[in-house]
Amino acid sequence: MSLEEPGPRDVGLTKAGEVNYDELEALLGDAVLDRETHLNAEAFVIRPDAVQDTLSTLKEEAGFDFLNCVTAQEYQDRYETIYHMTKYDDRTQEVGVVVPTSKDDPVSESAEPVFRTADWHEREAYDLVGIEYEGHPDPRRILLPDTWQGHPLSLDYDQTKPQIVTLRENRNPLQEDQRLNDDSDTMLLNIGPHHPATHGVLHVEATLDGEQVADVEPDIGYIHRCEEQMCQQGTYRHQIMPYPDRWDWGGAGLLNEWAYARTAETLADIDVPEYAQVIRTMSAELSRILSHMLAVAAYALDVVGDFTATFMYGMQDRETVQNILEDLTGQRLMFNYFRLGGVAWDLPEPREEFFEKIRAFIDDLPEKLEEYHNLLTSNEILQVRTVNTGRLEPEVAKSYGATGPVARGSGIDYDVRRDDPYGYYDKLDWDVVTEDGCDNYARLLVRLQEVEESAKIINQCVDLLEDWPEEDRTIQANVPRTIKPEPDTEVYKSVEAAKGELGIYIRSDGTDKPARFKIRGGSFSNLQTLPEMAEGEYIADLIASLGSLDTIMGEVDR
Amino acid sequence: MTLSDTIAGLLGLNADDPLHFFVAAILASAIVGTFMLVNVAIAGPWAKRKITAAFTDRIAVNRIGPFGLMVIVADAVRLLSKELIVPEKVDRPAWDLAPLLIAGSALLGFAVIPMGNGIQVADPEVGLAYVFAVASLASVGLVMAGYASNNKYSMLGGLRAVAQNLAYEIPLVLTGVSVVLFAGTLQLGNVDAANTIVGAQQATLATIGGIAIPSWYAFVNPFAFVLFLVANLAEVGRNPFDTPEAPTEIVAGYQTEYSSVYFVLMYLGEFIHIFLGGAIVATIFLGGPAGPVLPGIVWFLIKIWAVFLFTQWARSALPRVRIDQLIEIGWKGMLVLSFANLILTAIIVGVVV
Repeated sequence: MSLEEPGPRDVGLTKAGEVNYDELEALLGDAVLDRETHLNAEAFVIRPDAVQDTLSTLKEEAGFDFLNCVTAQEYQDRYETIYHMTKYDDRTQEVGVVVPTSKDDPVSESAEPVFRTADWHEREAYDLVGIEYEGHPDPRRILLPDTWQGHPLSLDYDQTKPQIVTLRENRNPLQEDQRLNDDSDTMLLNIGPHHPATHGVLHVEATLDGEQVADVEPDIGYIHRCEEQMCQQGTYRHQIMPYPDRWDWGGAGLLNEWAYARTAETLADIDVPEYAQVIRTMSAELSRILSHMLAVAAYALDVVGDFTATFMYGMQDRETVQNILEDLTGQRLMFNYFRLGGVAWDLPEPREEFFEKIRAFIDDLPEKLEEYHNLLTSNEILQVRTVNTGRLEPEVAKSYGATGPVARGSGIDYDVRRDDPYGYYDKLDWDVVTEDGCDNYARLLVRLQEVEESAKIINQCVDLLEDWPEEDRTIQANVPRTIKPEPDTEVYKSVEAAKGELGIYIRSDGTDKPARFKIRGGSFSNLQTLPEMAEGEYIADLIASLGSLDTIMGEVDR
Repeated sequence: MTLSDTIAGLLGLNADDPLHFFVAAILASAIVGTFMLVNVAIAGPWAKRKITAAFTDRIAVNRIGPFGLMVIVADAVRLLSKELIVPEKVDRPAWDLAPLLIAGSALLGFAVIPMGNGIQVADPEVGLAYVFAVASLASVGLVMAGYASNNKYSMLGGLRAVAQNLAYEIPLVLTGVSVVLFAGTLQLGNVDAANTIVGAQQATLATIGGIAIPSWYAFVNPFAFVLFLVANLAEVGRNPFDTPEAPTEIVAGYQTEYSSVYFVLMYLGEFIHIFLGGAIVATIFLGGPAGPVLPGIVWFLIKIWAVFLFTQWARSALPRVRIDQLIEIGWKGMLVLSFANLILTAIIVGVVV
């Protein structure tokens, strides 16, 4: 690196390739009011009217092309929006942009013109916290009904106030069928919230021109369960860990638990024993296989049809994995196996039998995957259906903050497991799968190949665990019974969950419960790309594209 | 000798008297209709589940009765006892008539199908034309159902269904016509009636190792056979051509709003159509009810169930094509191929005969 000419991307970097925050501060000029230190990165406090300038400078000149998450919160004396920024090229380079606004006039500039992903994030911030964003193209509520009174995460919100949300008060989408103009023959079609292909309670308002999709708008929030608020009411040590399982019922619970574990361990400065890290890595990858198998199987439902054999094959292969995870965690869906500082308990005895089970699954896997390739990816009809449909160009995907298989299917070489290593991943031999197709087919291929990579990781973990000396099997670090981080410690950490990057922001207030707990669900940002993929295509492709995103509403609505 | 004549004879009715013959024909129709409905009853709630389960490594119904067969009764009671929900603002007469039309039109087709052992209600000279005509009546029913349901999914499904049926009806009929060129008649006839479509297939095509291969049109012109099977899949709306229903896209298409007994009728209609498709395939390509050792009716059943099995297999294994691709395959592919087949047949007939 040092031999190359310093390009625009190198602005704000030290010689060692780390973020040079002083240089960044100079770059941003007088927009910066102050500087804060978060555990994951430095953050600049900026003027509320300089959001777009700041973000686009960071994006264009310093290479921070990934607006990872937007956290909004209310303090006693102010509102605050934090833009967590990083780079698709290097996940370890992070910077926070803190935008304070006054209590009386909580308005700051919208970041939407710089990053499309800010659209939904800022709507959520308005919805739950009550900050308004000037210049936002669509300043509506997103999770709660339009008729909701107040902002639930604001300090003066009256939780006891009854909220009447009748169906009548909601806009009836059937009233205006003709959306474009009076002469057009468009028809508004409500796909969901109950529909065979929406993978949960998602409501897609599709405006059709014949069979073609003229406009799509995902309407989310049907399964909003106040997960963030619930986490804020739980203690760090034990009470929060069960929740992440509930953000993904597709089998990826362990991956989600890791997101909380990683964030809280960074916050409380806990080191996880190596043995526990290997177990975590192995079980998390089993979890990923569960999720990806479900995605592939459900995709077969979407594209092949209701009576497809592929779906049941997928279910059966998941069954094997679920049995293994049941042996390990005692649960088949809501695992709750990770603990701060390690895992709940050691591998089941007899260990040889457990390893044998995993080995048998890994050994059978290539043959099974071959069958999926025969039934799906090498089928001409499926190729006609998926190749070049639901296109998501890399630049568009980046602007929307797409991650996970969706980003990798658009050729973006980005995987938190490798780019910001955690667990035992950096010591194992595996590859990040990318496909350049940018279409539905590429996303399907990525998932199938990632199952292979996960199997590789699991295999190596089993090798390690088999030879692990018995006296060195520490499954949990020594963690204090009550965790009380220093007041006003802020941290944002993420892991590579099944659907994409799952990030968690925690601000502590000196008690044993978080003052603010913000979840960045990978599906939230991925789902936002749906209109880009589906508009102008056929309704069948809309369904296929939606399926290829593999969204799970648990982490979209939270 | 049709079944109506036989019954007239058995009851001592005068077959030349129109009133007497009408009574006999009604009785014959009732027998054939009931027979086909029994097939459908086995196929719908039981065989289809068992077959799909076999393809997908499951067990399926096995709780009630031997092999789970009594589920047929249980399901019939369950479906009929459900509430018939009539959505607001449905176009009433059309909405009610559509299921009847869909189920009825397919049953009508069986009137001329020779099922072996003298089971054939009538044998008009325009038999084949009649079968195609009544079978395509179902398209009207689908449009009625789609349009009258006051539901956008139904509307989309109805439009898809009619577009699809138009695109595949013509190749289907054209391929059927190629058989007519061979046989020189539209009359379906029977195994022992020489100058009919079925009768003409009984001649020996070739003898291989002492086994006489009959000149079934599937052997004489395999190209037409394959073409017909594919067009038939589209006609009955099974994968890869189940686009009009496409449950994961448009919920259930034209049958979205039908519940209870109307749902049964819709479903019934679909299955009778599959069997009618199988019966047409058997009659014009597989020698009708002919076959060694076993009686004709058994061979007929084997053949129509084989076609049914084929549709279920396709359903489990093949992805669904998109509506525009489906129309493209129909108009740009199948139509051209069926014309080519027609010309090919004409040349074969012209040169050989």
